[in-house]
Amino acid sequence: MSSSSPPRIAGAILTVDDVTVRFETPEGPVIAADDVSFTVKDGEFLSIIGPSGCGKSTVFNVIGGLLTHHEGTVRVAGETINGPHQSIGMVFQEESTFPWRTVTANVAFPLELTGMPKQKRIERARYFIKMVGLDGFENRYPGELSGGMRQRVSLARTLASEPKILLMDEPFAALDEQTRLLLGDKVLQIQQQLRQTTLLITHNITEAVQMSDRILVMTYRPGKVKRIVDIDLPRPRTSEIVGSEAFGRYVAQIWNDLREEASRGLRDEEAHVLHHEAASS
Amino acid sequence: MAETGRLRQAASAGPLLSPVTLVRVAIILGALSIWELLAHSGWLYRDVVPSLTRIGAALVDLLSHGDYYFNLGVTVGEIAAALTIGGMAGLAVGILLGANRFLSKAFEAYLYYLGPTPKIIFFPIMIMWFGVGPESKIALGTLSCFFPIALSVAAGMRQIDKVLIRVGRSFRANTMQMVWKIYLPAMRHPIINGVRLGLGMALIGTLLAETKLSNKGIGFLIIQAYSTFDMPQMYAQLIVLFVLAIGANALVGRLGGLANIKSK
Repeated sequence: MSSSSPPRIAGAILTVDDVTVRFETPEGPVIAADDVSFTVKDGEFLSIIGPSGCGKSTVFNVIGGLLTHHEGTVRVAGETINGPHQSIGMVFQEESTFPWRTVTANVAFPLELTGMPKQKRIERARYFIKMVGLDGFENRYPGELSGGMRQRVSLARTLASEPKILLMDEPFAALDEQTRLLLGDKVLQIQQQLRQTTLLITHNITEAVQMSDRILVMTYRPGKVKRIVDIDLPRPRTSEIVGSEAFGRYVAQIWNDLREEASRGLRDEEAHVLHHEAASS
Repeated sequence: MAETGRLRQAASAGPLLSPVTLVRVAIILGALSIWELLAHSGWLYRDVVPSLTRIGAALVDLLSHGDYYFNLGVTVGEIAAALTIGGMAGLAVGILLGANRFLSKAFEAYLYYLGPTPKIIFFPIMIMWFGVGPESKIALGTLSCFFPIALSVAAGMRQIDKVLIRVGRSFRANTMQMVWKIYLPAMRHPIINGVRLGLGMALIGTLLAETKLSNKGIGFLIIQAYSTFDMPQMYAQLIVLFVLAIGANALVGRLGGLANIKSK
């Protein structure tokens, strides 16, 4: 598949069309995302991968509706997004559970906002808590849980809002490797169970190949779509697939694309540091 | 964790009268004996140090008169009103300053300078505006507790984890839901802390105002006992006030403890 997608595709639930985002910084304007276009099909798992500073998180915030000063359009099921949309559920990279709420009250939060009766929303919350494997911890506070468990609470909270599209920004970035793999399995299992359309932002190649139907590789600044790779591996998948030969080929192929961008990013950072040293001496 | 557990165990496993308790009791008994000696020595002018039995009698007398409870009610009402008005105003101003960088830059400096100023210097103005009755005491109490609460809330507002606000927005919470379900619970510690400081300030402001110029309230009774040189009566008043202040502080302290448990 080529990098330029036509604006409308049959079965596309999310269409990102020519999105460009500029930021004003003290050192002049920075283009965080440049002419980004792609589509996500119903039920599909798409990952966006790129080096640090490629504008992945900017794309995440635009699709989530938290950033509205962009050029271009984002459409969910044909509806143009202008602010947070009901059909999109976000899971953040940072610790984002409410420390003053129990697990149940955290997960029930989006249902509370819509005015669902208490008994019903507790029931719904319990269902999603069980889905992420946290049954038995319903009445605990986030402070009593591990980082991986808290991230599962965040995931359950977003799932409880029953979004058409699950949008995740490096949800496992802060976790250790084992927890990350096991949590990845959990996400895959849930995604297949709910046939949940999912868009994952990540910088982890293994994670992206393990989970995705397609992977979108972004370039280093300005962030453009470099390539979209189809991952033709059998489903259902688990973390066991990581050892297979086909898996290795995909990882190598994407690393090949990514290495060039990552090293450009690295050179840029070095130049930045040297520039600052020169300016301050 | 293990450390505190061991300490608690040591404290509960010790004898009923630990050395610390013994020293504390000894200090109180020593102070009381010196007081009683002074009272009977005749070294000091008349009633400056009345004997313990006379203070005790005055205390019983004080607590058996309905008149005292009326004045106590007046003072407690003044402090409660001051804390309510000053607390609400402080909360509102604190949220505004914490949410808006421009307002905070423009006004917060004034709060920092006015905050530590003894508010009693504004009392003459309060009397002119509100008269000698409870209203001027409430006004001074309000002024006293407003500043610590406003500053504490403004600081708390800025410390809210930004991602929690993004979570609320991503679930499309409206402004009221953002305030009630995210901003206020996220700021519970600075708010309770502000209310604690504010209560102390309201207490000081109100009582100080009462002792300056008033016609009812505990401060008024104390200063009246003093000006008629009824020393046993005055000491009895001070003892009751002391106990009440400890009680109020313990109450607010418990409030803080509750918030800690809920958010562990």
